[in-house]
Amino acid sequence: MIAAGIESVLQWDVIAVIAIAAIYGIAIGAIPGLTATMAVALMVPLTFYLDDVQAIAAIVTTVTCSIFAGDLPTTLVRIPGTPASAAYADDAFALTRAGRHVDALKICLWFSVLGGLFGTLVLAVAAPPLASLATRFTSFEYFWLYLLGLSCAVIVSPGSRLKGALALLMGLLLSTVGLGTDFSTPRMTFGFDQLITGVSFIPAMIGLFGISEVLRSAIRFSDSKRSDPVTRTGSISEGASRGIVALATQRLTALVRSSSIGATIGMLPGAGADIAAWISYAVSKRFARDPSQYGRGSTEGLADATGANNAALGGAWIPALVFGIPGDSVTAIAIGVLMMKNITPGPGIFDAQANPDQASLVASVYVTFVLANLVLIPVGLAAIRAGSLLIRIPRRILLPLIVLFCIIGAYSMSGSYFDVWLMLAMGLVGFGLEAKKVPLGPIVLGLILGGELEHRFLQSLTVSSGPMSFFGSPISVLLGLMCLLLWGWPLLSRVIAKPGKTNP
Amino acid sequence: MHLCVRRRGARRSCYDVAMRIRLICLLLLAFMVGCDRDNSFPSRPITLVCPWAAGGGTDRVSRQMAMLLEQRLGQPVSVINATGGKGVTGHSRGLTARPDGHTLTMMTFELNTMHWAGLTDLTYQDCIPLVSVNEDYAALMVRSDAMWATIAELEADIQSEPRSLTASGTALGGAWHLALAGWLTSADLEADAVTWVPSAGANPSLQQLISGGVDMVCCSLPEARTMLESDQIRALGVMSPKRAVGFEQVPTFVEQGRDWTLGGWRGLALPRDTPPEVVALLSEHLIAIVSEDSVDGSFAAFMESQKFDHTWRDPEAFKTFLAENDRKLGELLQSDSMKSINTDRFSPMAYPWLLIGMMGITLAGLWIKRNTETQHDDDESAANPSVPVRGFANAGAVIAAIVAYVCLAEQFGFLVVVSGLLLALLVRFGTHWMTSVIITAVTVPAVYILFATLLRVPLP
Repeated sequence: MIAAGIESVLQWDVIAVIAIAAIYGIAIGAIPGLTATMAVALMVPLTFYLDDVQAIAAIVTTVTCSIFAGDLPTTLVRIPGTPASAAYADDAFALTRAGRHVDALKICLWFSVLGGLFGTLVLAVAAPPLASLATRFTSFEYFWLYLLGLSCAVIVSPGSRLKGALALLMGLLLSTVGLGTDFSTPRMTFGFDQLITGVSFIPAMIGLFGISEVLRSAIRFSDSKRSDPVTRTGSISEGASRGIVALATQRLTALVRSSSIGATIGMLPGAGADIAAWISYAVSKRFARDPSQYGRGSTEGLADATGANNAALGGAWIPALVFGIPGDSVTAIAIGVLMMKNITPGPGIFDAQANPDQASLVASVYVTFVLANLVLIPVGLAAIRAGSLLIRIPRRILLPLIVLFCIIGAYSMSGSYFDVWLMLAMGLVGFGLEAKKVPLGPIVLGLILGGELEHRFLQSLTVSSGPMSFFGSPISVLLGLMCLLLWGWPLLSRVIAKPGKTNP
Repeated sequence: MHLCVRRRGARRSCYDVAMRIRLICLLLLAFMVGCDRDNSFPSRPITLVCPWAAGGGTDRVSRQMAMLLEQRLGQPVSVINATGGKGVTGHSRGLTARPDGHTLTMMTFELNTMHWAGLTDLTYQDCIPLVSVNEDYAALMVRSDAMWATIAELEADIQSEPRSLTASGTALGGAWHLALAGWLTSADLEADAVTWVPSAGANPSLQQLISGGVDMVCCSLPEARTMLESDQIRALGVMSPKRAVGFEQVPTFVEQGRDWTLGGWRGLALPRDTPPEVVALLSEHLIAIVSEDSVDGSFAAFMESQKFDHTWRDPEAFKTFLAENDRKLGELLQSDSMKSINTDRFSPMAYPWLLIGMMGITLAGLWIKRNTETQHDDDESAANPSVPVRGFANAGAVIAAIVAYVCLAEQFGFLVVVSGLLLALLVRFGTHWMTSVIITAVTVPAVYILFATLLRVPLP
């Protein structure tokens, strides 16, 4: 079956499609405001002219490359290219500030590839049994999962945990704006019709990270003709590749851990690469030798989170192929494309005897994933090289260009001027909060997950028969306990550590 | 020494003035170019507003339509997903856009329900209907191992124990919720005899159905196709007048003795005051697209491949249909038995207030902490270097540029406004004006080509 898959993918036309899709994916992912979902949606009418293997190759490669490419602007200018990069924006940018942007990007690239390959392995080996796990998630399990994801944001926030909590609550509050699925009247729109949609998080994210950073640079900006120190100290990859091999071998268990987290979360419908990155980052910090580095340029946190978000991509195909339930918005489109080619995802397509054609198509999904990750290496290295040129542009030229791209990014998501206002407002808020040393990451996570958390909680309440329903299945007991442990840990660890240690 | 400094200062300001004059000239020139916007149609890229998310059914139909329309008009047609607010956002964005034919809207069923629910003032009378492209009826799905074989058996169970079963499919008060409630009332049951569990759409609902989170799902047949074909779920009935093409094995509600039909539809429209010649041109092209026979690459072939229904109407028929549909839905939604479907189960503001309360506690905690750790904070503030005035002026320039973009872009077009702003910012940040002009002249057209032509982002 795998052989047939390899055979169907290793054709010149398919490889050409993969190469084009890789460059296209890098371009879209690197532009803040354009997401991987949008990249694939734009491609759908074209897939009409491709055969099924080509269409799958195009989708898989585009997504793989765009999720990595999201790290480029994140690292270079601290504007997450896709929401999946927001979790480690501070770390990546801190490395850039220290002149190590090439190191940071190479870590992103190699761990993305490793994570992606691991995700593919999970997909190929364990799709059917894992998929049945994914379908067992009812609203209760989702509620706990989202709560766990949100708790992670507070745990990972560098510095004061109270400030992290404050930021998270702000994000959650922003997520309640607008007309949700559970209510018949809009909330907190303050008379703005445009707010009925809610606070869209792409413009908010560009504002919080991008505009606030631009404002800060602009204020610190002195009109001396010399460019700022960042560009000067940029050491171009002095033994970076060797460093990465060392990092990868040293962090082998961490790599497996973060990729497993990524693949598992990715396969859950409604939880994708962005949440995978957050949770993996938090777990990484929990097990780290020196957690104080997290948020200040930790290569370990960066490696773990960037691996997880690429592993999530393979995971998302698990329920999509086995049950026809999309694991994320990209696989939702992929299912549509498959059906256009008269292939209906479901348990049947794995049956090599009954459906040899479709089974080999499934195999070609695996092969394409592997190829896409391999193609990502040269294309990604080229993109890093191009990106490094970007950072050498003097700040006086770079800043206006960043402003331009922020505006287009915020506008292009839904073609709304209101989103540009929103970006500006969030930029000012972000600037003010950073001055007070409040972390911005939790706001974005609160905004992304807040609506889902409330929605799943209300869904659970609607169907529940009492508080014990929230612990009605083994999975929800497990997830619930993990949440409680996460919150209780600081207390617990103090109790455990008390004997024998003086108060620090 | 003193003199020298002054002289240099004077020369500098002279240079400044000269530069400003040049800048103003450039901006004026750009302004004049910008005002010369062509009045013929289509003179710039066209936007197709899709009120629902990327990847969904409406989005797929919109993108296919955009591609075919583009082949005919010779101008890029790009889809934007103006989602949220249960469809209000997209419909009002599309139908209140500048009425010059460059903004089309893929309207859906919700246009005729949202104003009855009091969400907006927008009605079908605010649009010029072009063509309707499909009609998908609601259907009722249960798990394959469910004990009901027919609608009647299910009704009997609901009757014996009301509110013990749950259903999902869309948001509270959405199309499929309405379909379910309508069926229940037609069977002389309470509209809320089955508890509605709101969800974000058909996909998450079907996942909940499989996992056992809900007992039935009401959505259209194409939305459930993958799971129907792999026998994970089955359809008890479809709420259409006759059996659906491609799903001939699913009986209708009417066949099972329940006189109830409800369907969603999709169709294209323009804002109300669009010039008649533009409407005529677009209608002609659109009718040609939807009426083409099912050959490779045609709209009909696409709809068949997705198993979407392909009933279409021309502008006149669509207009009559809209009025009739709106009247019917109005009667339904305003009847007493239907009131329950737009009633909140939970207080909408409870959660926001809880969050505000928690924020208050956190702030209080921070305040206490600050007062107990004053020493630490003083160190931090001392470390901050003082900021020069020029720095604030720079930040002000950035903010002003963004504000200017929002205020001017629609009037003067993307190229002109962005060129002007980029030039001004570059100069403001101390780049030589000649360099700035070159950078602007290279980047702005490149960015425009990249976004508007290659990536299909609708720029003003």
